[in-house]
Amino acid sequence: MASSQPFSSVPPRPRPGFSLSPNPTPSSTADALQNLQIGRVPPPSAAPSAAAGPFSSPASRPGPPPPAATLSRPGPPPFASGHPTTSGLPTTSASITSNGPPAFGLGAPRFPPPPPAVQQPPPMGAPASIRAPPQALVSRPFPGSSPSVALPSSQPFMGPPPSSQPYMNPLPSSQPFMGPPSSRPFAGPPSSQPFAGPPSSQPFGAPPSSQPFGAPPSSRPSGGPPSSQTSGGPPSSQPFVGPPSSQPFAGRPSSQPFMGTTTPFRGTLASSSPFGTPSWQLQTQQGAPPMPGTMQAPPRMFGMPPHMPGQPMAPVPPVTGHSPLAGHQVSTPSKIDPNQIPRPVPNTSVVLFETRQGNQANIPPPATSDFIVKDNGNCSPRLMRCTMNQIPCTGDLLSTSSMPLALMIQPFALPHPSEEPIQVVDFGESGPLRCSRCKGYINPFMRFVDQGRHFICNLCGFTNETPRDYYCNLGPDGRRHDADERPELCGGTVEFVATKEYMVRDPMPAVFFFIIDVSMNAIQTGATAAACTAINQALVDLPEGPRTLVGIATFDSSIHFYNIKQASQQPLMLIVPDVQDVYTPLHTDLIVQLSECRQNLEQLLDSIPNMFENNRVADSAFGAAIKAAFLAMKPTGGKLLVFQSVLPSIGIGSLSSREAEGRTNVSSGDKEAHKLLQPADKTLKTMAIEFAEYQVCVDIFLTTQTFVDIASISVVPRTTGGQVYYYYPFSVLSDPAKLYNDLRWNISRPQGFEAVMRVRCSQGLQVQEYSGNFCKRIPSDIDLPAIDCDKTIMVTFKHDDKFQEGSECAFQCALLYTTVYGQRRIRIINLSLPCTSMLSNLFRSADLDTQFTCFLKQAANGIPASPLFQVREQTTNLCINILHSYRKFCATVSSSGQLILPEALKLLPLYTLALVKSIGLRNDGWLDDRSYWVSRSASLSILLAVPLVYPRMISIHDLASKEDDGSLLSATIPLSSEHINDDGIYLLENGEDGLFYVGNMVNPDTLQQLFGVSSVDGVPTQLVLQQFDNDLSKKLIDVVNETRRQRCSYLRLRLCRKGDPSALFFLSYMVEDKTPGGLSYVEFLVHVHRQIQTKMA
Amino acid sequence: MAADLAGGGGGGAAAADPDGPDGVRMTWNAWPRSKVEASKCVIPVAACIAPIRASPSLLVLPYAPLRCKPPCAAVLNPFARVDFAARIWICPICFSRNHFPPHYAAISETNVPGELYPQCTTVEYAPPPHDAAAAAAAAAAAVPAPIFLFVLDTCLIEEELGFVKSAMRRALGLLPDHALVGLVTFGTQVHLHELGFSDLSKIYVFRGTKEISKEQILDQLGLFSAGIRPGAAGPPGYPKAGLQANGLHPSGSVNRFLLPASDCEYTLNALLDELQTDQWPVEAGNRSRRCTGVALSVAAGLLGACMPGTGARIIALVGGPCTEGPGMIVSKDLSEPVRSHKDLDKDAAPHFHKAVKFYDNLAKQLVNQGHVLDLFASALDQVGVAEMKVAVERTGGLVVLAESFGHPVFKDSFKRIFEDGEQSLGLSFNGTLEINCSKDIKIQGAIGPCTSLEKKGALCADTVIGQGNTTSWRMCGLDRSTCLTVFFDISPSERSSQPGIPNPQLYIQFLTNYQNPEGQMRLRVTTITRKWVDGSANTEELVEGFDQETAAVVLARYISLKMEMEEEFDATRWLDRSLIRLCSRFGDYRKDDPASFTLHPNFSIFPQFMFNLRRSQFVQVFNNSPDETAYFRMLLNRESITNSVVMIQPSLLSYSFNSPPAPALLDVASISADHILLLDAYFSVVIFHGMTIAQWRNMGYQNQPEHQAFAQLLQAPQDDAQIIIRDRFPVPRLVICDQHGSQARFLLAKLNPSATYNSAHEVAPGSDVIFTDDVSLQVFCEHLQRLAVQS
Repeated sequence: MASSQPFSSVPPRPRPGFSLSPNPTPSSTADALQNLQIGRVPPPSAAPSAAAGPFSSPASRPGPPPPAATLSRPGPPPFASGHPTTSGLPTTSASITSNGPPAFGLGAPRFPPPPPAVQQPPPMGAPASIRAPPQALVSRPFPGSSPSVALPSSQPFMGPPPSSQPYMNPLPSSQPFMGPPSSRPFAGPPSSQPFAGPPSSQPFGAPPSSQPFGAPPSSRPSGGPPSSQTSGGPPSSQPFVGPPSSQPFAGRPSSQPFMGTTTPFRGTLASSSPFGTPSWQLQTQQGAPPMPGTMQAPPRMFGMPPHMPGQPMAPVPPVTGHSPLAGHQVSTPSKIDPNQIPRPVPNTSVVLFETRQGNQANIPPPATSDFIVKDNGNCSPRLMRCTMNQIPCTGDLLSTSSMPLALMIQPFALPHPSEEPIQVVDFGESGPLRCSRCKGYINPFMRFVDQGRHFICNLCGFTNETPRDYYCNLGPDGRRHDADERPELCGGTVEFVATKEYMVRDPMPAVFFFIIDVSMNAIQTGATAAACTAINQALVDLPEGPRTLVGIATFDSSIHFYNIKQASQQPLMLIVPDVQDVYTPLHTDLIVQLSECRQNLEQLLDSIPNMFENNRVADSAFGAAIKAAFLAMKPTGGKLLVFQSVLPSIGIGSLSSREAEGRTNVSSGDKEAHKLLQPADKTLKTMAIEFAEYQVCVDIFLTTQTFVDIASISVVPRTTGGQVYYYYPFSVLSDPAKLYNDLRWNISRPQGFEAVMRVRCSQGLQVQEYSGNFCKRIPSDIDLPAIDCDKTIMVTFKHDDKFQEGSECAFQCALLYTTVYGQRRIRIINLSLPCTSMLSNLFRSADLDTQFTCFLKQAANGIPASPLFQVREQTTNLCINILHSYRKFCATVSSSGQLILPEALKLLPLYTLALVKSIGLRNDGWLDDRSYWVSRSASLSILLAVPLVYPRMISIHDLASKEDDGSLLSATIPLSSEHINDDGIYLLENGEDGLFYVGNMVNPDTLQQLFGVSSVDGVPTQLVLQQFDNDLSKKLIDVVNETRRQRCSYLRLRLCRKGDPSALFFLSYMVEDKTPGGLSYVEFLVHVHRQIQTKMA
Repeated sequence: MAADLAGGGGGGAAAADPDGPDGVRMTWNAWPRSKVEASKCVIPVAACIAPIRASPSLLVLPYAPLRCKPPCAAVLNPFARVDFAARIWICPICFSRNHFPPHYAAISETNVPGELYPQCTTVEYAPPPHDAAAAAAAAAAAVPAPIFLFVLDTCLIEEELGFVKSAMRRALGLLPDHALVGLVTFGTQVHLHELGFSDLSKIYVFRGTKEISKEQILDQLGLFSAGIRPGAAGPPGYPKAGLQANGLHPSGSVNRFLLPASDCEYTLNALLDELQTDQWPVEAGNRSRRCTGVALSVAAGLLGACMPGTGARIIALVGGPCTEGPGMIVSKDLSEPVRSHKDLDKDAAPHFHKAVKFYDNLAKQLVNQGHVLDLFASALDQVGVAEMKVAVERTGGLVVLAESFGHPVFKDSFKRIFEDGEQSLGLSFNGTLEINCSKDIKIQGAIGPCTSLEKKGALCADTVIGQGNTTSWRMCGLDRSTCLTVFFDISPSERSSQPGIPNPQLYIQFLTNYQNPEGQMRLRVTTITRKWVDGSANTEELVEGFDQETAAVVLARYISLKMEMEEEFDATRWLDRSLIRLCSRFGDYRKDDPASFTLHPNFSIFPQFMFNLRRSQFVQVFNNSPDETAYFRMLLNRESITNSVVMIQPSLLSYSFNSPPAPALLDVASISADHILLLDAYFSVVIFHGMTIAQWRNMGYQNQPEHQAFAQLLQAPQDDAQIIIRDRFPVPRLVICDQHGSQARFLLAKLNPSATYNSAHEVAPGSDVIFTDDVSLQVFCEHLQRLAVQS
């Protein structure tokens, strides 16, 4: 409860802020968010709420330490040495290499290599790396470091720590850098101290960090270095350095380089040099400048792999030495050191990111990192980011790269609290200035010429006349004098006040219509009561004011509406019994002003569970109910929130239980099995299109214990801009809290209504397809009855012409919407990216998170359409093709025996593997789980896409020993069962579920502290977390709340006990493990490598 | 047995009753023996029977009737020949010999059961339940409570709705506590109120535009769940019909909607308090959307869940035309007027036939269920009574047409149906009428509030009039004044026409089963006998047996039916020719000498009846809307002969200082400046003040003590009017008017236009003229005489 207070005080809803200035001020949103996280627990259990402190701004946290730690494990690949000590699998020396050069350069800078490096590395860090000739990369450079060497070194370490963690040991000492990603967790304890100390302090402060980015800016001369590097041979050298450490493992670990780390990479080899060079050069031009800006931030940089400049390649872990023999390889996979292979490295440091600098687009930090955006021309990458930060000049180049060209647009993405709010511009009656040919909106990239009397559209190239009242002289630099005063001319994101011209009617009110399943099952499982309670509590979070209208209905085999107008003495229940052909039972009074009916509504919600207590109607007329509610909402549009608990069995759009059939088919590998993931028929789709036409958005909360055919049901939210919430199996114990928080966030998050969105781009490209939750009636626009901060829309492009090298390609997303307070706005999001004809630039500027999200969505779209094995194969092929393209055109020099990964995409194989093993693509997945996965993926943001398939796992039992600086979440553990100990407790979260895994040898004290029980044997799987009065418990609550904040989701907490069926569920997330139907991570790398080799041949 | 009789045998108070002790009146009390003779009689052979007319002398027998062997199945009656020694009785209708059962063993010439008393040609059986032991206990519980399902129109202006509410409140107060009550309101949609739900007001809403079957309704109301599904309640293989008959029908669940009045009075009153006019918007230039048809379907469907045989009435209060869904009579567009007779004539009423078909089906459903539809229509425009007529009439429902729910015609009539005691209408349920008659007599059919049960047999005639093809009719609702007209055909068989077996008497037995207002099942048996008249020679006997009042009414009913059924039927011409034929046949005259024409007293006023019938609303329909016509005809068909005669030929009383109130000629000549006239035209009662009287009254003389006589004069017709109004249902409209006032048209329209503007010069001062080209009675009779005597 303690927690609750914070909230309560907080409650200031984001809305107000939001509404007033169309854009929520960061802080307000943050507040909202917070609330969310903390989650007031619904009445039932006070417990969970532990509170996280208010959002101590992450930014502020000093806590960089972890990052440093992250880095490297010394990947003692050296198989040869093969000391059993470390891990079962000794790595081969050959195995992992990173092409360091480029990477290193980049990497080093980014990550504060310092800490670990302290001893030796430091020196290398900056200078060394840079200079080192490419060849150096090879193992030789660090001869000593050669695998074998490495190991030894590590071992020593290990020795000591080993006690606790076998594997880790190796890492600790040498690789401070790498550490973080992989083994760290374990290693953590032992090693931690060593790292911790140094890391924290140094990392940031450390020159390293500053150098990379900061360099240019001010602090460091580093700026210099980069530039120099670029030009000179240096690049080559850098590569090596860099590569070794950083690439292989976590991206950021760049710091590793210093240590023996380098060694591991021998594999890298010269190969890197080839591309290295080119890339470098490019970098100089682009990369250099940009970096500085960003980096500057005092804080740290993001940890991830990202090297902004896009330098390419990372790494490698390759496969054993010589490719030649297939057979050989097969036998050899073991040579790869599992600890050396690339893994994501979380990063808790906050970076300041300027979107453009020196008239160049900066490469944005990874989507999953923490950053503050300064919009100076391009939009915040949160709102819109591209799969590649340079646009190929030709379609051929794009297809050669095999990479997708797509934008992920999240128009209402939550800003960082420290960011400037989006400016609102009112052009008065004339409306915003637009290109008269393509109707593109005025933006910073429209070029004013002829003393400002004309301007040239950056989208279509048309020369427009400047309206008289918009005229302004140009300065010597060709910019308008007033450019900096006008948000639309200096900011990448801006909002225009819409004029009458943009309205077909008055802006709609904020309508929230709740419909609740009260059929027998819903009542008996407590779902109805949970829904009523959640709504009742969430009412206070609805926007205030006369424009907020609410309505409510319940349904079983008929539909019950309620007239809750205050005027009547008691609510009136109106039943629509005809569920084949529904209608609305009243013309008015079904939807009334919240202020007018609050009391009646609350009373009604209280009494609904009792009223239907003895309901024996098992049928549920879901389709009819939403149709009827829709009819009531038709005049206004609005949000329809449906609480459904069983399979719709009657009336329009009723469904049959395809489940039984589905199970057998799936398991027998029936080729038609995927058809069960398609909607049963078109009824709901047709309805949904009609809903969308009248601006009704449907969100569905499935509180069920049975099959509900999400494949069919989800069509409605997908078409209307809503989403599915899935509580399966619904537990009256633990789920009401999440239900309430989900609902609360749903209605209070920043959002807009009756929206229309169109993306325009420069001539040369054209929009190929939109993908997400919306309805499309004409090819160029998408209709979004509602759009909120959690929804992302993917837009793919194709070439229809060529770009000139050096020109820029602009993207402009225009979103016309109505705020919850009834203002009509046009949000314009601009992004202008350089065009290139160099393939290596594409790889260097590739955006891993965005590309992966793109793959995820494509795979999700494919699941219902084709057999699973095909989807998996296609997904794997996407990865292989990209790597092959890179290998073939950008890493030609390297030995064919090596698997060379572009630095920017070095995690692609891991993510691809995780994707292939995800719920949606697994064979053994339950039908509804998969359908839910598919539907969730459709609108998922980049930020959440990654954890969905590659969840975050941290250890809990040792929380107390970790720094309490807010970075508790950064000590992630690789998703491999090797890293799970019987005496440990782990939390794995994917943005949706939070799984507590409890080993069978856990210290009862720890259990007592965390869960208040000395044995988890009797504890139900559905976990309700309570805060106890001890440090460990508080930290756990902090961790959970921080996670909730980050994910904008309350998480369903579940307890998985070793030896229980629940443990299997947990273990199914161990994507790096070998499973009956899937490869281990190492095996997968081998597989990929072999495929590439085959192609090369 | 003697003791039993004592209670019922009150004594011969029936002397003044024009309908006789049996409540049966016939056009001909002596029947021609051959078909040819019958057709020469012009006026069809018909009997008007009031099956459950209140009769103080009625004998109620507390045991089951003794029946003749099938197929005759006639009930033992005073006309049976009884052989006391042999314990045998011979059925007068089929001549079968029947043995008395053992419990009649005590019968003897001095000890005869009540049904054999010669004066007891009408008796009523009230048999106890079969299981005598359980009878006492079951009696209380077994009596099914009557059901009143109100169907209220909400497409009204606030004021009208207010009237409806207050009428409803009054009705609720009058309902017996055990009566079950339900409520349906409708406008654009139908609202069925669930009264048995305590948490909040719960309403089932049905869309107004969609026709909905009984099965759908029951299904949607969840009323199928309990027991209709075979096997759910009863032992396997048990016939479904048996289930229902045994009361296992899920009437329990229907109690969500139908509650004892005592239990739901509060709920209903609260509900009425909050009841609003229909909230759906009405576009300018449109009628409100009113789905009367669906509302009635829903009501009927709901009652379908009740046990068949449970007496139930749907009481519909309708304030305008149905504009939506089935039963729609006019489109929403105000520019389209509601159909008129002209439209119907020209087949220019696009919705008419569809609507009639809909209500016809509804009627069938209701009849199957044994439920009644009562219609209270109150609107300035038509509401569709013409279309609904079939449903109301077939179920034996009541109908009232008024201008407003605030008008006394509605208010008082509505109240009447719930009143108890002497004023009670004696509303009964579930009646069936069976007729047994001597051979040579065939039944053509019946006109009146009933439905043919299609029980065919040897007694059915080939030709059908009204509800025919049967010897049995259902009257879902009937009351003390309900009257049916049964048409007979005389078709002697070969054998019976042989002179060998002269049986001078014919016998007809009417058996009426019904559930009286107290809920008990009764069987009333009326057996009548009339004599045959042989050959064509005996005109005199026929003439002696002629009942001109009955003949006029039967003719009116018959012609109304023909006008509805036959296209292009020229009623006036048909009437004229019939009258001429009748006069030719039975008049006393010399051929071709009009002056010699005279009529037997039994026929003497028949031409006048015909004259007025020709001018009445029943024939001159174009003066009225189809709704009014339907209304008039329904009442004509169900009222007693006496009342019906008044409808055809109103009665007129004259009040003056000089003489006591006296009947006056129904002639414009009766108007006089210093007279007050009281016209009873059945549907309206008009008090007409002569010019002078009106002046005096306006000057307030009646308030001056010295002019008490004047006050009394003014009051006398008022009092008489109230007497008329009090006994009549529906309550007639009372019109008080002055000579030359606009309302005077209510009187003038009914008067014989002996003085018109054409004859104005002859008018005496103070009298009046009628502006019409219609012929006067005198002219009519002259023509009749001339034509009747033509050879």
